[in-house]
Amino acid sequence: MYADYAYLIVALPVLAFLLCLFVGWHLPRGGGFLTVLATFAGLVLSLGIFSEIYPSGIVHQSMPWFANFNVGILIDPLALVMLLMVTFVVTLIHTYANGYMNGDPGAARYFAEAALFTASMLGLIYADNLLQLFIFWELVGLCSYLLIGFWYRKPSAAAAAKKAFLTTRVGDVLFLAGIILLYNNLAALNLDLKAGEYLLQFPVIYAHVAQIPADQLTLIALGLLGGAVGKSGQFPLHVWLPDAMEGPTTVSAMIHAATMVTAGVYLVARMFPLFYAAPYGLTAVAAVGAFTALFAATMGLTAFDIKRVLAFSTVSQLGFMMAGLGVGAAVGTMAVGVSIFHLIGHSFFKALLFLGAGSVIHAVNTNDLREMGGVGKYMKWTMYTMLIGSLSLAGFPLFTGFFSKDEIIVIAYEYGVLINFLPYIMLVLAAVLTAIYTFRMWFSVFTGKERSDYGKHESPMIMIGPLVILAVFAFGFGFAAQEGFYSYLDSNFEHYDVDFAELGMIGGHVLEGHGAPEGAALEEEQGAPEIAESGHGEAGDAEEGGEGEAGEPWYIQILPIIVAIGGILTAGLFYFDKIKKFDPSQVTGDTDPIRKLLLKGYYQHEILTGWFAETVVYGTALICNMIDIKLVDGWLNWLSAWVMGFAQNVRKVQTGVVQNYVTALVLGVVVLVVVITLAMEVGLA
Amino acid sequence: MIPLELYILLASAMFTIGLYGLVTQKNGVKLMMCIELLLNSANINLVAFSAYQPNVNGQVFALFSIALAAAEAGVGFAILIALYRLYGTIDLNNINAMRW
Amino acid sequence: MIANALSWMIAIPLLGALVCFFAGGKAKFVALVASIIPLALSVQMYTEFDKTSKIMQFVESYNWVPSIGVKYTVGVDGIGFPLVLLSTIVSVLVIIYSWGETKKPNQYFALLLLNEVGVLGVFTALDFFLFYIFWEVVLIPMFFLIGSWGGPRKDYAAIKFFIYTHVASLVMLLAIFALYFTYQTPEGTRTFDMLTLLAATADKTIFPTSMLNIIFAGLLLGFLVKMPAFPFHTWLPDAHVEAPTAGSVVLAALLLKMGGYGLFRVIMPMLPSVDKAFVTIIAIVAVISIVYGAFMALAQKDIKKLVAYSSVSHMGFVTLGAVAFTWMSVTGAMFQQFSHGIITCVLFMSAGTIQHVVGTRVIADLGGLADRMPKFAVLMMAGFMASLGLPGMSGFVAEFMVLTGSYATLPSYTMFVVFLSVASTAAYHLWAMQKAMFGPILKKYINVHDAHSYELFSMAMIIVLSLLFGIQPGLITDIMGTAATQVMGPVVTLSQMGVI
Repeated sequence: MYADYAYLIVALPVLAFLLCLFVGWHLPRGGGFLTVLATFAGLVLSLGIFSEIYPSGIVHQSMPWFANFNVGILIDPLALVMLLMVTFVVTLIHTYANGYMNGDPGAARYFAEAALFTASMLGLIYADNLLQLFIFWELVGLCSYLLIGFWYRKPSAAAAAKKAFLTTRVGDVLFLAGIILLYNNLAALNLDLKAGEYLLQFPVIYAHVAQIPADQLTLIALGLLGGAVGKSGQFPLHVWLPDAMEGPTTVSAMIHAATMVTAGVYLVARMFPLFYAAPYGLTAVAAVGAFTALFAATMGLTAFDIKRVLAFSTVSQLGFMMAGLGVGAAVGTMAVGVSIFHLIGHSFFKALLFLGAGSVIHAVNTNDLREMGGVGKYMKWTMYTMLIGSLSLAGFPLFTGFFSKDEIIVIAYEYGVLINFLPYIMLVLAAVLTAIYTFRMWFSVFTGKERSDYGKHESPMIMIGPLVILAVFAFGFGFAAQEGFYSYLDSNFEHYDVDFAELGMIGGHVLEGHGAPEGAALEEEQGAPEIAESGHGEAGDAEEGGEGEAGEPWYIQILPIIVAIGGILTAGLFYFDKIKKFDPSQVTGDTDPIRKLLLKGYYQHEILTGWFAETVVYGTALICNMIDIKLVDGWLNWLSAWVMGFAQNVRKVQTGVVQNYVTALVLGVVVLVVVITLAMEVGLA
Repeated sequence: MIPLELYILLASAMFTIGLYGLVTQKNGVKLMMCIELLLNSANINLVAFSAYQPNVNGQVFALFSIALAAAEAGVGFAILIALYRLYGTIDLNNINAMRW
Repeated sequence: MIANALSWMIAIPLLGALVCFFAGGKAKFVALVASIIPLALSVQMYTEFDKTSKIMQFVESYNWVPSIGVKYTVGVDGIGFPLVLLSTIVSVLVIIYSWGETKKPNQYFALLLLNEVGVLGVFTALDFFLFYIFWEVVLIPMFFLIGSWGGPRKDYAAIKFFIYTHVASLVMLLAIFALYFTYQTPEGTRTFDMLTLLAATADKTIFPTSMLNIIFAGLLLGFLVKMPAFPFHTWLPDAHVEAPTAGSVVLAALLLKMGGYGLFRVIMPMLPSVDKAFVTIIAIVAVISIVYGAFMALAQKDIKKLVAYSSVSHMGFVTLGAVAFTWMSVTGAMFQQFSHGIITCVLFMSAGTIQHVVGTRVIADLGGLADRMPKFAVLMMAGFMASLGLPGMSGFVAEFMVLTGSYATLPSYTMFVVFLSVASTAAYHLWAMQKAMFGPILKKYINVHDAHSYELFSMAMIIVLSLLFGIQPGLITDIMGTAATQVMGPVVTLSQMGVI
């Protein structure tokens, strides 16, 4: 019966949006509690639905909308875990925001926009067809624009919001192209759809992916990947994420850590059967993800703004998730479970880190790492919760991040064994850098001497509460939920009419030791679940240090632990006073070219804004303008000038002298006579 | 009898002279005289044709034409007098106010 | 439904215009009444409209000049009715927006009403003669609106607008005459009846392809200039920029749709019978309009000119959808017309309010207006978001349908448009809106006041409508879907319907 009210999960935040928008300024704290209540109601409903459909049910409702499209709700394991995570984390963030935004004159506007965002994100998650997902995708982008530019009087915030919207728009263009291609390909198949089935619905897509020509599949996959790259801030469309830190910290936590940016990963996971069947589809995903993971991690090393460090970290971790999906080429649907597990774990500890950073900024009144230091003395709660978050992010054993992130590295290893080691190498390097920059941040902020004069007080309980709750999850979610999570998600695609063995043949994938002989024999039923089940069992064992059937050597098993602890120690050597050995500026002085490169963000701003936007795009516009004025309008004005000139000359016939008229008359008569005589001669008249 | 062609030749010659005068003369009075020439050439033609036919239609018509010529000359000279009063000249080349 | 509802819809604004001329300062009330009545009629007509019928409804037919085959015939079907609805809605909102007009208000409102008359006539006329009369009727009030109440270059803009569109209409008239003189009814007479002539064009014995190509080109020219499509669009920026706000709104929302209406009513039934090269030509023109319009908008310094070029770009979608000739693209194109008609109102109203409040339209001189004009800022932002195709508003549905439908028959054109224009459209909208609204408030604007309540009301109504049709497009796409099937099939004449 909870499922009957599934629509309320989106409808209630919309109601909160309308209320905050129209009457928010009359309410205390700008109506923030409405937003919290609406999201919390969503959480309750999601839990209710979970209790009803776990472990093997799904919710699927739909109604016709317009033309050949429908609107509907699809809650399968994938959607359900996302719903649970989003409602939970966002409730906490909204609660925190009630404290953080207290006193801001635009608080009502904030909560309205945040409520709309919540509604859009939840709508995106349980959309039952690709068009609906795209619609909510864009709405989420709109809310991101509004929220990043929340303090619109600041030019940098307005510019950052514009950059975010336009960059994701580029991605959305690719996404749209993918949808158009997919729709037309499905329509060309002339499917015999039953009543209530529509072309872009996910079950329909899954069932018919195998029938679409392979090259079209690759194009579609690349288009969809383009959208995911934009939204999740992967290279090369990642440039908006660091700038997006102009918004309030709760916005950063909500949109850029826990929810919106994960939409890209969610899309790829949702469309995994298509990516799996598209030749080189998952290869592209893995390439983009692994590269971004490493690339962004390098940029996190030099950033001074605490939020920027976290932003780069988010980009990097999203790269991990994408890479995790991409290596599904080797391990099958298990990749979805692993990736989403990291997505959820990451949202806990990243939101924790952002909220903690917000707490620090709120108290200390600066974002700059160089001006902090020794904050831990005054903000114990913040320090310890952020320590938990940082340990999780770095992948310290037993914390959530260890289980999730390093699982991705494990399956990347399996991918390496079968196909290519490049993702594995990049991810390991990224993991090293992750540990380093995370603790660079933590040590710089909380330990050591105070480097400037800042405010010294702990944040109010309304802000500490969510931090503590998130810290619990950042610590414990990993070992508590991993087993059940994997088996639950592995069953995700069993609800649909999709045969991964067949898709794997189209996509050119080989799964060694994962039931490939059965796949090769093209058994119709249960090919996918067998692969999935054997896969995850091994992954579970591998973590415990034993050897699974894939046979990872013991040194690969403990590499993640070494990486994590080693990274933390390295950071400590540079930044932690108690064991400090090296001064950061000794290794790379201020004039070092590599450091400059990293600091300047690889000159991406200059390339994108300067060259692409201003020169290429605006230049084309100016050329068009010139063409329009001179050529298109020009010939028109030339024509009219010619006509006027002609008229000016013709009017001179009117000389006003009577005799000229007589002459003309006579000549005319003569001509007429001649013509008529000739005509009579020829026989016409 | 004098051949018809000669009468027509005479009339054509008069017509041509009249036309030439009409087109080239600056003096308004001369213009009027040329117009009379034109009309009279047409009259000669009419009378000549009627002489070679059993009826007198041509001569009757010529009488009409003479009357009309007189009326038109009267109007024409009245206009010339009005122009002279306005412009002080009857040099038609200079009276070109109704131009572009 | 009252008898002769369509004729009343056309006649009441005409009477209202006459009364307005003599009403002095009270003209706005007269105008409001004279435009609300047609609105009420059209809304009631909506409730009675048969959404599944592919033939003309609410037809009225009277003999007018029998000797040359001219009849006064009006009727609506799925092609014309949404536009009738649009016209009545926009006319009311434009009159409300202009509530504060002080310069010769009696003439101003009368001219707005005359525009409504002409536009309604065009969308309902079923006789080519009548159609042409109303087509030309529209030019005169607009000419005076631009020429008397316009901006600095109003004379140039008014004359350019009038002559350019008039010449194109004359070419169209020649084509109409060609149709008229070639066709003979079974009784041996000639007729101007639109549906009969259009149905006859499918007959190769009456209209050989070579002749039909020329006629088609003539008609096409008339409609393309009106739409406007590249390269015949240059009258639009001047006319829009120099026209007073209400004039711009009517021009963009209604007059441009006349071209689109002609496209669906006249051009599309003839498209299967003419040379296939026309499809390529029209497709290229459409794509260039879309992309070129978007880039031109990016280059503009004046916000009103930017919006004008965005109209060129959006109407290009209509052309593209029409020529792609699939059910989804045609429905999308019709919906794009309707949606653009709604959204462009708020865009021009924003530009007008900025001009009126701040005194300049140059984007670079604006900044931080959201600080002082919060309500206006929200509405302007919603309007700009709608225009760039944000889902949830009607523009997205329309563009999506056009693009998805066009891919089936014109893949490369569609993809070209998607990649180049969808992103650049977002760019110029965002840049203009951002520069004007966000950032710190400039010192010279510290004392500006928010927009007037009547201006805000009109804009708010538009946003509501756009949301309404964005969230439930089915309200109007059902009608358009039927119309699309109708337009892609053979023309059903009135006598075949048994109506006359």
